Amino acid sequence: MRDALLLIAAFVTSIAGMGWLALSMDVHWRQVCGNAFGSPAPTKRLRALGTLGLGTSLVLCLSVNHASIASLVWVMALTAAAFSIAFILTWRAHWLRLLFPPARPTAG
Amino acid sequence: MAARISSRQQIALHVVAALVANYVFTWGFIALGVAGLFAAGTEFHDAESLASMLGLLVFLTAFLWTFAARSLPRACLVLVGGGALMAGTASLIQALLIRAY
Amino acid sequence: MFQSFRSAMTWIHTWFGLVLGFVLMGAFFFGALCVFDREIDKWAIPEARFEVQPMPSFDRVLLPEFEAMSPSLETMQIWGIVADNRSSLIDLVSIHETSAQGDARTERVVKMLDPRTGKVTNGDHFKIGSEFFYPLHYSLTLDWQGLGEWIVAFSGMMMLAALISGIVIHRKLFREFFTFRPGKGFRRSTLDLHNLTGVVALPFHFFFAFTGVLIFVGQYFPIGTTQLAQLHELHEQLEIGESKIPTERSGHAAPLASVDAMMAEARRRWAAHGMPGEVGVIHLRFVGDANAHVAIYPAATNSLQDLLNGVHFNGATGAVLQVDPAPNAVQQVAGFLTGLHLQPFRHWPLRWLYALGGLAGCVCIATGLLFFVEKRKHQHAKQGSQAIHVVDALAVTTVTGMVIATLGILIVNRLLPDTLPAGWPRHDDLERYAFWFAWLLAMAHAFWRTAPVAQGRMAPAWVEQCWTITVMSVTAVLLNWITTGDHLLRTLSDTYWPVAGLDLALLTVAAIAALAGRKIKRRAENASMIAESVAQDAARA
Repeated sequence: MRDALLLIAAFVTSIAGMGWLALSMDVHWRQVCGNAFGSPAPTKRLRALGTLGLGTSLVLCLSVNHASIASLVWVMALTAAAFSIAFILTWRAHWLRLLFPPARPTAG
Repeated sequence: MAARISSRQQIALHVVAALVANYVFTWGFIALGVAGLFAAGTEFHDAESLASMLGLLVFLTAFLWTFAARSLPRACLVLVGGGALMAGTASLIQALLIRAY
Repeated sequence: MFQSFRSAMTWIHTWFGLVLGFVLMGAFFFGALCVFDREIDKWAIPEARFEVQPMPSFDRVLLPEFEAMSPSLETMQIWGIVADNRSSLIDLVSIHETSAQGDARTERVVKMLDPRTGKVTNGDHFKIGSEFFYPLHYSLTLDWQGLGEWIVAFSGMMMLAALISGIVIHRKLFREFFTFRPGKGFRRSTLDLHNLTGVVALPFHFFFAFTGVLIFVGQYFPIGTTQLAQLHELHEQLEIGESKIPTERSGHAAPLASVDAMMAEARRRWAAHGMPGEVGVIHLRFVGDANAHVAIYPAATNSLQDLLNGVHFNGATGAVLQVDPAPNAVQQVAGFLTGLHLQPFRHWPLRWLYALGGLAGCVCIATGLLFFVEKRKHQHAKQGSQAIHVVDALAVTTVTGMVIATLGILIVNRLLPDTLPAGWPRHDDLERYAFWFAWLLAMAHAFWRTAPVAQGRMAPAWVEQCWTITVMSVTAVLLNWITTGDHLLRTLSDTYWPVAGLDLALLTVAAIAALAGRKIKRRAENASMIAESVAQDAARA
């Protein structure tokens, strides 16, 4: 049970990490926040958060398995996370607003 | 200078030549790797493992280079020559080691 | 040869991708299915539908079976037991000399044993997963001179070339990392999906193609057995002094000691080294001789580092001869690379992620083929070329046709009775014929129904094969219920995942195929409506 929860946590942090990295790109920032939100993406902060998310995911994977397996789990989790973010951006982009609460479209 | 490929047979010939040349080059690389590592004290099967792993990457790189090079026929000659040289050296090492034991 | 590095890479990516994409689809699709090979085996062999059991007693249960399988102890060469931790039936293999049909030759007999009852299953059951889809994915089951393995290995190397060249020609690798625009027209969205599945899963595709070729590399570059064979022999001579494992019979008879005791000793040693585990594989040689040799290997665990810890015993005395040494750096790397591909581990989340990666590879290749056809279809129509018809027909054959063949073998597996009439071929042969015949039918249909592509229109073959897949998938699930009584409500309430999982997967495939078929049909109708109204406007003008 503990292992299952840790792996779920690893997947959640890798999705969050990929989401932040996606938001750090202008095109996706505008997609999620809408054109009403004028200022450019806080790129540096988002990239740092993204890296933190992916790094945390690796640590969580290593806490469940031997490094020889954990490294594979992590790489594949990142792959699944990146696919998830890509499809969320395509069909439910507004879900990513959860990742950066200040990023709400302001009037005007 | 680069001339555009005109006929299908020429393309097919170039592809076959590229594959054969890269195979020969990779064979030479792996042979030299095995013989050299074994002579340096590595266990035989470990030498095979290591040389093969690197050999596949060498094949990949050399293959892409063959098509990117300005003259494919010249690239093939270089690869075949290099491969033969490495294979020859490997056999030389083998002969010396057999004699030594 | 080319004007620029980029155009050279484009040429390699396009043409090697096109020609070998068909082979690679098979390798990736059946490779992905092989993640669940033992589960597919259980669906195909109802007698195997029980939970995995520990290895039974060798002395009481297995030894009598081996003695029945081999003609005599003097002619036995190797007895092998494989009880990996996902198969419920245990494999017993006997390799021995026989002169049953006149001249002396080596024979290999395999039997499957139910560890709960000790009974050997009779019949020629076909392990569709591990004995068909598995060799299919690395050799296309084309065994003449190992030709199939060479073709797949070559395709694997070209997959690596396609990945590298693909990165070179992709102009917006990072900017379009998360990009998929299904609303922007078929060509754009197909290319987006091709790029997405190729780039995001790049580490997976690269490592699987690379390690796949690496596993059999000794066959493609047999340097140690040809050019450097003498060096290999030198190594063996130097080694002989060091190994305590006997290489031949002594000539003195001696009964086999208790193998159960040897298994217990092996388990004790593994636990003492901090790597507790169950027995997975046992090899016996020279049984009945004083030089009898018993090698015991662990079943796989969730690590790729402890696969080489075999313990070797003298079969007559039960004494430990030697323990396989801990792997050195090169062996660890080699073990990691081959283990990453062969998946001897039980980590189910990772296995599912692997299946996802394999499917991503299939989508990457299929979208590549579709993009190729879409891009050139109108050009070829103007030129009156039939080439694009051939490519589209082959695309249908490898994408939907392959699924149809897979469903065909599952359906025939459920339709064949347990005992076949006399004179009929065996179960495994019949099921194999069904697979290839279904694929051939799909190909014939594909060629017939992709003719419109040569006029720049859409082929009805795609929709028709999608609907065929839907019907066949549901049929397979129904046949499983009718012939074994294992319907989904029962397998889910018993949580017997091997069968429930496959049935659920089949129903999912049916749903996806139906949705895809509907979508493609709608797109074709829209396209023809637009073409009609353009023609009407032109006529009016």
